[in-house]
Amino acid sequence: MVRVALYTLLGVMSVVMVAPLVYMVSLSLQTEAETLSAQAVLWPENPQWGNYAELFVKAPFGDFIVNSFVVAGGITLAHLLFDPLVGYVFAKFRFPLRNTLFVALLATLMVPFFVRMIPLYVLMAQLGWLNTFQGLITPFLMDAFGIFLMRQFIQPIPDDLISAARVDGASEFTIYRKIILPQTKPALAVLGLFTFVFQWNEFLWPLVATTTPEMRTIPVGLTLFNQEYFTLWHLTAAGSVILFVPTAILFLVSQRYFVRGITLTGLR
Amino acid sequence: MSLSARYARTAYLFLLPALVFFTAFFYVPIANVIATSLHTGPQADVFAGLSNYADALADPSVRHSFLVTLGFSGGVVAGSLVFGLLLALVLDQPLKGRVTFRAMLLVPYLTSVAIVGLLWRNILDPQLGILNRLGLDQQWLNEHPLATIVGVTLWQTVGYTMVLFLAGLQGIPETYQEAARIDGASAWQRFWRITLPLLAPTTLFVSVMAVISGLQAFGQAYIITNGGPGDATDLSVFHIYATAFKTRDFGYSSAQSVLLLVVIVLFTLMQLRAGKRGEVTY
Repeated sequence: MVRVALYTLLGVMSVVMVAPLVYMVSLSLQTEAETLSAQAVLWPENPQWGNYAELFVKAPFGDFIVNSFVVAGGITLAHLLFDPLVGYVFAKFRFPLRNTLFVALLATLMVPFFVRMIPLYVLMAQLGWLNTFQGLITPFLMDAFGIFLMRQFIQPIPDDLISAARVDGASEFTIYRKIILPQTKPALAVLGLFTFVFQWNEFLWPLVATTTPEMRTIPVGLTLFNQEYFTLWHLTAAGSVILFVPTAILFLVSQRYFVRGITLTGLR
Repeated sequence: MSLSARYARTAYLFLLPALVFFTAFFYVPIANVIATSLHTGPQADVFAGLSNYADALADPSVRHSFLVTLGFSGGVVAGSLVFGLLLALVLDQPLKGRVTFRAMLLVPYLTSVAIVGLLWRNILDPQLGILNRLGLDQQWLNEHPLATIVGVTLWQTVGYTMVLFLAGLQGIPETYQEAARIDGASAWQRFWRITLPLLAPTTLFVSVMAVISGLQAFGQAYIITNGGPGDATDLSVFHIYATAFKTRDFGYSSAQSVLLLVVIVLFTLMQLRAGKRGEVTY
């Protein structure tokens, strides 16, 4: 009895979660008439794959995709480059002002993006970086949480390993690259995955920092396209599917890392 | 050079990019947002003292947007706690297909707010929406706009909350439950007396995160409701965005951002304090 109730609850909730996304796919394959017909179409009889091609004609959607990959990919690479290095320093080095700097770093976790939004906009306008890749990427090159995560992960690595390498005459950067970095692979996978998905989905800054359609990322380009062509829901849905597919693929191939990553954010 | 001085030099060398980054993109902007909030005019270059703050606190539209935002966050927190915990409790049972269910519940968390917003605006549209074309006569976005965008937000985030609660539940040693069972405690009693108190750290974390993200919500208002109908869903960050980039009043919008930051920090501190008091060990 109880089991039936539990399965029913899970079944209903799963449908509520997944059905809207399935409907999004259905909508992306309907004709414009079908999306508007009084008789709702749950799944189109003749899927209109041409909608996807039409989207690229009606909007610079190819640019959106390239921009999204450059911005989310660039930020992810920067995180993978800098976060472990800074985490390593705070995990294994003794130096003046260490604790002060670490607190100053963690304090940035308390600063929501909207606080930085206006001054960053002014800064980017002064630098002439509005509507450029560097303008979209630089405000997110590192983050305190990624650094903290890497520090936690590097701390348990035995100090002897580092001292032994120093005795052998390895340079400090070689020690980092050859000894520390290889041991942090699982943490790097989580960091890279989360950074990419969050930046891929980011909305507010690309909205504020871009001025021409050609520089927009998919979330922003799609939303502004929808505002312009309000009733073209089949194309909006096609764009949404394109926006969703990369994250869905990442999730399918690395569900374990996702769940672990969420749990890690909860353990801080 | 001594060994420790050499390590210190290496440390600072490795830290250099981070020092530059966090100074240029966090600390300088924070100083600038405060400085800008003390200025007025189209270039935000006329010193105005605290008048932006005084204006904001007296401005009915700003006060209204704060209330809307608090209502929104309250709804998101309550919903996250109730539904997240409920789903976690169910998925913590030894059921077949748990991993699949967990994955399905987590899928909306992967979507951009752009997808969430556009998709649900389509679904809920009283004329074109699938619900009404299937025969359900709803006007939720007109009649209960705030509750509706809370619901849409929960659709996206409840999977995340559930995973956090699941991890919390798995951290509770089975022996406590076992001992209580032997003493004849009912499932209901075990939940209220053992599970819930021992989950307190997770509950605290979930509510802090939900408040913080709720108070910063933007896309829901921008994409689904445009702040309306009227100003019913005029979330603070949406209001700040409009003040900055539609009205082009950087001084006034900066003051509002600082005020909202203060609200967020106060809420976080209050919750951490309440959490400390509620802590238990067995």
